[in-house]
Amino acid sequence: MMRRCFVAFAAVLAFAAGSAWAQDAVPVGAIEILSGPNAAYGTAIRAGLDLALDEINATGVLGGRKIALTVEDSAGNKDQAINAARKLIGRDRVIAIIGPTLSNEMFAVGPVTNERKVPIVGTSTTARGITDIGPYVFRTSLPESDVIPVTLKKAMSRGVKTIALLYANDDAFSKSGFDVMKAAAEKAGLNIVAIESFGSKDTDFSAQLTKIKALRPDAVGISALVEPTSGVLLQAHQLGFGRETLFIGGNGANSPKLGEIAGAAADGLIVGSPWFIGKPDPANQTFVADFRKKYNKDPDQFAAQSYDALRIVAAAIDRAGAADPGKLRDALTQTKFSGVMGPFAFTAGRDPASTEGVVVLEMQGGKFAIAP
Amino acid sequence: MLAQQLVNGVLLGAGYALFALGFTLMFGVLRVINLTYGFYFSAGAFVALFLTRDFGFSIWTALPLAAMAAGAMAVVLDWLLLARLRRRGAPELASLMVTLGGVLALYAASTAILGPDIRRLPPGLIAGAPFELFGLRVTMAQLLILLASLVLVGALVWLLHGTRLGLAIRAMAEKPDAAGLMGIDTGRIAALVSFVSGCLAGAGGVLIGLNFNAIHPYMGETMMLRGFVVVIVGGLGDIRGALIAGLALGVVEVLTAGYVDSGLKEAVAFAILVAVLWTRPSGLFGRPEMRRA
Amino acid sequence: MPVWLDNFLWTYQNLVHALGINGLLALSMYVVLAVGQLSLGQAAFMGLGAYSSALLTLKLDLPFALVLPVSCVAPVLFALAIGTPTLRLSGVYLAIATIGLGEVLRAVYLNVDWLGGALGLSGIPLRAEFWMIYGLLGAAILVLWLVGRSGIGRAMEAVREDATAAQVMGINLARTRLGALLASAVLAGLAGALGAHSSSFIGPNEYGFEPAVTILSFALLGGIATPLAPVLGAFILTLLPELLRGFSDLRLVFNGVIIVLAVLFLPEGLFPLRMRRRAA
Repeated sequence: MMRRCFVAFAAVLAFAAGSAWAQDAVPVGAIEILSGPNAAYGTAIRAGLDLALDEINATGVLGGRKIALTVEDSAGNKDQAINAARKLIGRDRVIAIIGPTLSNEMFAVGPVTNERKVPIVGTSTTARGITDIGPYVFRTSLPESDVIPVTLKKAMSRGVKTIALLYANDDAFSKSGFDVMKAAAEKAGLNIVAIESFGSKDTDFSAQLTKIKALRPDAVGISALVEPTSGVLLQAHQLGFGRETLFIGGNGANSPKLGEIAGAAADGLIVGSPWFIGKPDPANQTFVADFRKKYNKDPDQFAAQSYDALRIVAAAIDRAGAADPGKLRDALTQTKFSGVMGPFAFTAGRDPASTEGVVVLEMQGGKFAIAP
Repeated sequence: MLAQQLVNGVLLGAGYALFALGFTLMFGVLRVINLTYGFYFSAGAFVALFLTRDFGFSIWTALPLAAMAAGAMAVVLDWLLLARLRRRGAPELASLMVTLGGVLALYAASTAILGPDIRRLPPGLIAGAPFELFGLRVTMAQLLILLASLVLVGALVWLLHGTRLGLAIRAMAEKPDAAGLMGIDTGRIAALVSFVSGCLAGAGGVLIGLNFNAIHPYMGETMMLRGFVVVIVGGLGDIRGALIAGLALGVVEVLTAGYVDSGLKEAVAFAILVAVLWTRPSGLFGRPEMRRA
Repeated sequence: MPVWLDNFLWTYQNLVHALGINGLLALSMYVVLAVGQLSLGQAAFMGLGAYSSALLTLKLDLPFALVLPVSCVAPVLFALAIGTPTLRLSGVYLAIATIGLGEVLRAVYLNVDWLGGALGLSGIPLRAEFWMIYGLLGAAILVLWLVGRSGIGRAMEAVREDATAAQVMGINLARTRLGALLASAVLAGLAGALGAHSSSFIGPNEYGFEPAVTILSFALLGGIATPLAPVLGAFILTLLPELLRGFSDLRLVFNGVIIVLAVLFLPEGLFPLRMRRRAA
């Protein structure tokens, strides 16, 4: 009875919303951090998703059906992320989920969606082992292991032989970025002179930097989110690190915030990125212009990644030919897409296949530019 | 390198001490773990940000105004959350809980209103370039923090031990009931202590925000655990103890990171906290407390 | 079972598990509050239970029926080790010492690679079942209720109301308090093991300061008049964020305001009904 009432109610609603909202919009879910201390990331991702949604729904998928995107907040909390996933699948009947924001959350949510055979697409989860969770777990974000070697190659072309590594040891993203950085440095034959860590909420890094400075490495690799990375650069500047030391950022450093917070202290830092705001191709220029128009600020890579991810999912829905999670999964593995990040396809392991889009950026005057 | 590390430690410790001064005062006099304290720290930094960025104030006028704004917030929140419990003589658990609820709401509300982004103060507020003294590098902001914590400790010690008001405050810290019977207006003292503590937190927020150049709603939250360590090791309500403990904590953390293992610096800080509590429950510099149960 | 009911249960499975697990945590807070101790070590105990159980499952693949009881061992040993020096403290000192110990443990999880570091332990099989969680919760409430009505319960209340007087009456303070701490460790350890086996991932940041305070808020919201009260407090605080989902970024604000109002206007907690005890 309850159910029938509900269906009737929903039908009335759909009718009221006009015929364009054809009685069955394709339900897609997203789980992002929209409240609490890490809300900045989820907010950026949501902005990218909303922009992509506007675009997709202008033409629709499956011959004119709209995508109904439900974004749930996880507050960065594992349990709330799981609850959100179960709600999206059990109640909203979504055929795919985008997110969650953090790798830690994906480790908890991935098994749940995998059990129900609903594809989940991470847009910002770069840690090792994400796609090993199961056959329904995808990600569009390049794992660090694809980006860091490119960055290190650039550093070595500038004569870097010794490197010190510095990382935040209390979040999964920074720790796995560091693991990759260490492995890649060893593989490239760099001499690692020091490994130091800090907490991701620390504001003081003077002890670690003083120690590193005494060892005079050619480069310092930092794996952390943007706030502590900025702090490290500011303090390194205060402690008298000059341009003779090359600072190398992990994925976390790849944010316009870096220049805003660290200012001139960030100049000279290089970072590998799957995306760059100044990329000249028309798709990217349109994205950046639309984003600025809609939100009155510059997009960051999280917005760019989620913007592409939703469009990849939409393309896969079209390829699947039906709003069905199983068919969508198979379609995702087949989908070839060209987005603002460059050409895109999934590997057999459901990671991004192409590292073609990776560019090495250098911070100059508070803004990123292609590294010379 | 050791000399620079010691300087790093002292400067870091001065920041801890600055944060902890108001905390220990509030904690010591009002006998409450006031979890909203960290919020005044964030609030001070944000007020200074608006004053300097949007209204073109210099840092020297923005600093006292921001401190007073944070102090005023502390008074209002103390009145809203704690005054009633104090009158009722409620257990410290209830006060802890109410400040917990309060601070959850405050942080969430400020994030919702201001956004979670990190802001920076306008560049050029104070000389940003570090200078070198005998081969050791420090910045203007760091020296300000050190100077501020020393001056404020002096001022607070004078307030508490050199004035009649201070006598009343200390009386309230020792025995609130008796102080009330002696004709001390405990409500007014509580408001005053809240105001002073809030001001200290706000000033700390501005200076520390200036030094690390990152202002965000949760910045006070991240300082709270360190604040606990300093307040306990220094002794509840002990102003000089907070200064010494703050400096010591900074030096210990820096030396651990510099010479042992940077991953262990927090563990060492908390291990010291636990060891102090096990051996000297009233703080390293405190007299054993006579109060029972 | 009809499909929609099955679907409904699946949708809320994690929430239902979390309710029961948080109920156990609220009880682990209740037993120390019942002797007047503000000990905030519950999150640390829970972490030890979660890590030890997850390791037993992942590395040795022991059956869950064995893992669950064994997961209490580490928290109990930890409680025994810290008990004597820590329980001499009272009030805020005890609270902060236990928070400090929790932070030390967090540093251990972060720095020992074998424990997964910041990556935590993932891929833990979902072995916690509805009946286990609620069976244990029901059993714990029953036992605590019976103990509360017995002579031990009277002794606990005497210690809480006036420790000095209780000592004069011949109650062994140290033993009563340590007993409560051990019971607390067992309950939190079980909750940790069940939690680890119902969410497939555990990380070092889940057992620090914030969860410790959250667990405290369960007990304070419900009150400690009976063992049922803190459990109901846990239920309410676990459901709130889910019920407030519609308010998006304002829901944490409501959460906080509700706690404030409850403490200010309901000083004995939401459920102040006292349990009846036979006359001595």
